[in-house]
Amino acid sequence: MRTDTLLEQLCKINAIAGFEASASNEIKEIFGRYCDKVWVDTFYNVIGYKKGSSKNGKKIMITAHYDQIGLIVTGYEKNGFLRVSNLGGVDTKALLAREVTVHGKKDVFGVIGAKPPHLLSGDEMKKNVKLTDLFIDTGLPDEELKETVAVGDPVSINSQFVRMVNGCAAGRNLDNRCGVAACVLALEKLKNIEHENDVYVIATVQEEAGLIGAISSSYNIEPDIAVVIDVCHGDMPEADKASTFTLGKGVPVGVGPAFNKNVTQQLLKLADQEGIPTQLCVEAGDPGTEAWAIQVSGMGIAVVEVCIPLRYMHTGAELVNLEDVDTAAALVSKFAAGRTVRLSKEDADDTDTD
Amino acid sequence: MIELVRELAGTYGPSGREDEIRGVIRKKISGKVDELYTDTLGNLIAVKKGNGKRIMLAAHMDEIGVVATYIEENGFIRFSNIGGVSPVFSLGQRVRFANGVCGCVCYEEKLKEPKDLNFSKMFIDIGTNSRERTMEYVSPGDIAVFEAGTIEQNGRYISKALDDRIGCAVLIELIGQLNEVKNEIAFVFTVQEEVGLRGAGTAAYAIKPDLAVAVDVTNTGDTPGCNPLSIELGKGAAVMIKDGRTISHPLVKNKLIDLAKRFDIQYQLEVIEKGGNDAGSIHTTAGGIPSGGVSIPCRYMHSPCEMVDAGDVKNVVKLLKAFIQSED
Ligand SMILES: [Zn+2]
Repeated sequence: MRTDTLLEQLCKINAIAGFEASASNEIKEIFGRYCDKVWVDTFYNVIGYKKGSSKNGKKIMITAHYDQIGLIVTGYEKNGFLRVSNLGGVDTKALLAREVTVHGKKDVFGVIGAKPPHLLSGDEMKKNVKLTDLFIDTGLPDEELKETVAVGDPVSINSQFVRMVNGCAAGRNLDNRCGVAACVLALEKLKNIEHENDVYVIATVQEEAGLIGAISSSYNIEPDIAVVIDVCHGDMPEADKASTFTLGKGVPVGVGPAFNKNVTQQLLKLADQEGIPTQLCVEAGDPGTEAWAIQVSGMGIAVVEVCIPLRYMHTGAELVNLEDVDTAAALVSKFAAGRTVRLSKEDADDTDTD
Repeated sequence: MIELVRELAGTYGPSGREDEIRGVIRKKISGKVDELYTDTLGNLIAVKKGNGKRIMLAAHMDEIGVVATYIEENGFIRFSNIGGVSPVFSLGQRVRFANGVCGCVCYEEKLKEPKDLNFSKMFIDIGTNSRERTMEYVSPGDIAVFEAGTIEQNGRYISKALDDRIGCAVLIELIGQLNEVKNEIAFVFTVQEEVGLRGAGTAAYAIKPDLAVAVDVTNTGDTPGCNPLSIELGKGAAVMIKDGRTISHPLVKNKLIDLAKRFDIQYQLEVIEKGGNDAGSIHTTAGGIPSGGVSIPCRYMHSPCEMVDAGDVKNVVKLLKAFIQSED
């Protein structure tokens, strides 16, 4: 499947953190094309299963969250305005003057109102706008608004998926639909690779609201090894070099206490052998991804992480390089197949295998 | 109801020291349920047997308090907080230790700015004048709760510790009202909610319910100069959509709303940014348990004069009764 077509389809889906139920079937349908079995669990995690060819294979879990950040209605103001709070880590600056969809009884178009600069006081000019200062202007008469939209209804940001000339794509929800796309592409590749391991590819829910889907999935699946695919920060002018990564120059692989050292080394070695470009993404502690929750699930799980660099995270104009999505899929599928990687008991961190 | 609320709210039971309150609750419900036991952490679990869905209702029985950390030479007690205690609210209040000894919460007089008020500048005076005398009654590690009576006025209950003894009262009331149930209902009086939702998760892990509902209090947005919040005292049971820890599971949330509509039970919808209740630890337990909350709107939370509406409490009981009896 073409990466851009797939990603465009995925980005159109509305799966706001905690409100993924309605979107789960579409993800299930896409996963289903390449899996032996696919199901949706009680929390709307979508699990695609590919059986391994050997009884001695390992259980590999690959996760990418499919929820997106958004807003939630908290109350009404007169004249068709709604008050809101956040679902996940929204950037209020980036919300100003955005077009949104309020998912009430029916979808309602709205804009996030911003005071024009002419009306801002000197103090207001300097301060970042608070979420409590933001309103959604729906233009609906108050009675109709109350009839259509309830407190607690989710709100998504409107934004088109755009193909750029340099092989990049821009739009909303690329965090982490590009990870989900890599999962689908990896499943597609696994159809043509003989693999000993049982592979569970999971599009998880509520990552943005506290890693909820990762916590429930890792408990239910109990994998031997988990691979998290998520975004990291892409390079841009003026940004800190240590925490940003060049687009199109290979996929950053997580390094740090959250990630199993030996399995990560095997992953990097495999990438080397296969000529798949990687970078190193150093995380001193909590990487802010599902790896942190999966690692301590049950009796502990060896986790590795493959990242896709993304610019302008948590805004309506995120940007990724499509080539990175393909690279992530190539690396993850090869790794999961376990043809060159030794996945043995000695994978525990405290064993010296060097 | 007021008698039950008064007895529960007046009983000592800060986080980690729930023995006394658990004893009181146990007495009230023993003989009315099929199973009654205390787990390792101290959660009190009461089960009504049934063959349908397994449903867990959780109300925390712990309350906020203060813990003695150091005894000054002249007998004054330095202290720290157990749970979300506000230095401002504590000022000038009386506290009571497990042995019944009371103290006054005061502050260092040199302190000029209210914003500089914190527990390190405050102390408890139990009326002694030496470390030795104080130590006869209070040692570091001893925990005290705030002391305040319970009244009913203008259709409201006003008391300390309504968070969450009012939730405990709701569960006790439900146990009393239920006869035969189709579903299996686990009424859980949890420990250590105020210090990080510690008890509910382990109880849920053992019970493994199909659905869970936390029954706790929630803030209101109906007092002068408060932050905007669409919850009002007297406007019905609050069905939780989201708090700082949990986005309610659609199965639970939708069922509650449908039942409220069907049985014409007054309700409101709750979206809270910060803070979380027991649902927060239940819903991530054992591979995920669909969870939500039904809250009792409460003004001045974590103060010695918390206020809830008696009608709201009735509506919470009605809604939860419909929920646990519902067979679909
Ligand atoms: Zn509470």
